[in-house]
Amino acid sequence: MRLGEIDCGDTLRSRLLIGMISMVSGMRLPDAARVAFYHKDFLSGSLGRWTQATMRGPSAWSISERELTAAMVAQWNSCPFCVGAHGAIAAKQMPRRLVDEAIADYRTADLPAGLVATLEFLEKLTLRPDELTANDARQVFDAGVSAEGLSDAAAVAAIFNIITRYANALDFAIPTTDEFDRAADMLLKRGYGS
Amino acid sequence: MSTSGRTDHRALAEAVRQRVLEGEAKTAPALRASAWAAAIGDGAADSAPDALARLVGQASYRVTDAQVATIVAETGSEKAAFEIVATAAAAAGLSRWQKALEVLEAADASR
Repeated sequence: MRLGEIDCGDTLRSRLLIGMISMVSGMRLPDAARVAFYHKDFLSGSLGRWTQATMRGPSAWSISERELTAAMVAQWNSCPFCVGAHGAIAAKQMPRRLVDEAIADYRTADLPAGLVATLEFLEKLTLRPDELTANDARQVFDAGVSAEGLSDAAAVAAIFNIITRYANALDFAIPTTDEFDRAADMLLKRGYGS
Repeated sequence: MSTSGRTDHRALAEAVRQRVLEGEAKTAPALRASAWAAAIGDGAADSAPDALARLVGQASYRVTDAQVATIVAETGSEKAAFEIVATAAAAAGLSRWQKALEVLEAADASR
């Protein structure tokens, strides 16, 4: 973590929360949660509301499909923290083997055709947005995904194109596999509202 | 936030944009606007905050300790440096959201 105030907390309340949650959970509170507590009236309020609604609210996609999509965006943006964190949440409701296969190559993983077509759209949106055209969206529709479904998936991609960038730029510490797994339980239970 | 049981992504995304660009903050709105533009490839990005914003937008995994420390020193606080990083990240994500909306609307109209 490149900003010490995020590491320690910038208010008495956030310092107490960081200490208490770390003590109760028996692990260092991940940097994603520390950022959510930091300078709270700048980004984390509005982004947290969009993230909670997109990742846990009504959607054409299951929670595990949304979490896998977040992990894929992280993979494309070379963000190991978010690959680990969101891959672990996805693996709570789909086989770990499938999550790993998708992250390695989603085109050859045993995923539904509609999800594969959507990930092709989102990969271009993430890495080469200027090349994206209506024809890319039509290919997703042809795979059986509705306009609402593609919009829901694009919202996941947009949000994680934000989160992965600040996770990388601030150099989030990478938890162990066991810590990612335990944090995933917490995020499934509590969601993204800070 | 939902519309008839569906999430209103447009309104929620706009709330993020407004907060980051127009809300009260440690940094001046002009500094955030400049970082936003730099992150999406507009302008020269010849100041240190804009150069960091451009890197966050284009290859955030290449940001270094020294680059962030420079921005803390130049802006005078960690919160201000955080605002530059967060603004650049939001610009990259929300510009992609806007692109997705445009493409979706074009595809939907031609069905």
